[in-house]
Amino acid sequence: MAQEKPDVARMVEEGAKIVGLTIAPEYRANVILNVERSLLIARPLLELELEDELMSSPVFRP
Amino acid sequence: MTDPLSKAATATAIAGAVMSGKVKASAVVDATLARIEAAESTINAFTDVVAERARKRAAEIDSGLHRGPLLGVPFAVKNLFDIAGLPTRAGSKINIDGPKAARDGALVRKLEAAGAILVGALNMGEYAYDFTGENIHYGSSRNPRDTTRMSGGSSGGSGAAVAAGEVPLALGSDTNGSIRVPSSLCGLFGLKPTYGRLSRAGSFPFVDSFDHLGPLARSAEDLALSFDAMQGWDSDDPVCTDRPVDPTLPRLIEGVDGLRIAIAGEYFARGGEPEAFEAVATVAKALGATKTVILPQAAAARAAAYVITAIEGAQLHLPRLRTRPQDFDPDTRERFMAGALLPGAWYVKAQRFRRQYRAHVLKLFEEVDVILAPATPCTAPKLGQTMMKLDGVELPVRANLGVFTQPISFIGLPVAVAPLQRPGGLPIGVQLIAKPYNEQAALRVAAHLQKVGVATAPPA
Repeated sequence: MAQEKPDVARMVEEGAKIVGLTIAPEYRANVILNVERSLLIARPLLELELEDELMSSPVFRP
Repeated sequence: MTDPLSKAATATAIAGAVMSGKVKASAVVDATLARIEAAESTINAFTDVVAERARKRAAEIDSGLHRGPLLGVPFAVKNLFDIAGLPTRAGSKINIDGPKAARDGALVRKLEAAGAILVGALNMGEYAYDFTGENIHYGSSRNPRDTTRMSGGSSGGSGAAVAAGEVPLALGSDTNGSIRVPSSLCGLFGLKPTYGRLSRAGSFPFVDSFDHLGPLARSAEDLALSFDAMQGWDSDDPVCTDRPVDPTLPRLIEGVDGLRIAIAGEYFARGGEPEAFEAVATVAKALGATKTVILPQAAAARAAAYVITAIEGAQLHLPRLRTRPQDFDPDTRERFMAGALLPGAWYVKAQRFRRQYRAHVLKLFEEVDVILAPATPCTAPKLGQTMMKLDGVELPVRANLGVFTQPISFIGLPVAVAPLQRPGGLPIGVQLIAKPYNEQAALRVAAHLQKVGVATAPPA
């Protein structure tokens, strides 16, 4: 099923209210642009399937 | 032998000259302060110079009060390190209104305990969310090889100050590449140690999951000398390792004998300008390395590093984004705001994937000791440049200067940068990547490349 294109502008508007952030009108376009860039850059991670058993390391030891 | 008072002098040469009595620490500090004053109108690397403190310390050294392997070596630190009596700017205007640091950061104390002399604090991208070295509040630090170009960031002042010969040694921080990118663009040796290897106590954080501190210098020996002086457990940093200090300097003499060296393929062999891959090929040839290894899922690793950075960084700054948005650098503000809105599920997935990727990459280190990869996809872009073309694709500069560094710091691997000066062109660096706690292997390769003349300090 094809994914519907997200309405990033609305996500920014509503999300900002939820986290208690006032985004001035002059900042808004760039915030939207950066969320769109994040969607693009995050894609290789979001497309991955991980095993249910895979746990993160609360204290990371390389 | 290089004059210990010249701008080409390494930390090793200065310490040797001061220890042997050939030169006074006070003379070294006076020469350093004079160079800073002369260079700063064009380089803009420093935000604070602590001349009085440095002269006092030098006088104490000259009177025999201090000893140590870095005796009389001037150094400066990115302005996210605490310096007693100064506000810890972290590249911001906002932090100036905060309290002044009560004492020096842990690594400043360690370097001074080894005889070094702090001379100042260095410019950086705001709150370290930067690969360019640009800063709206304090001006951009400029690349000494071409002052119309970026120093790289976010440790931009650290790269510019050492490359300009203002100081032989600087400390920076590296969350996604902020030591390695300026090392590459300014043509310096740099070391991002293993995650947790050096204490971060007394430094302003950015992304706790990936924050590292380390040195930039004019030689591989200076990296090893300063790294050794900074090792050791610190209860003030919750991730600092309790492994015993493991000196790397004595091991440089071993060269590359016995080291298995390979080239990173696939992800690390595309998406950059030809000079990035030519540099890797030059280094591989000098080392006789022909084997290629594939870091599996490197693109996903870069994506996960990006997500964790965006969300942890935004969470850290959310109170300031709510109350003082107008006081941020616009280039960081809107990225932090965007990060505050990304789904928490992405973050958790990125952290889970981190463990899987770590296991896959550590498996590679059963067959190799050091992996070669480009440090940056290109040489220094022009100051103010926002877009660049890589492999024919138009991409934002800020988000993409770290494409080759992010998948490495994501799992905390130690990396040394070997600089290639490219006469007639601009410098570029190669990452020498080792398994956790194996800094000595990366530093031995860097020292060998220096010895055979492939990796060199920038012209003084």
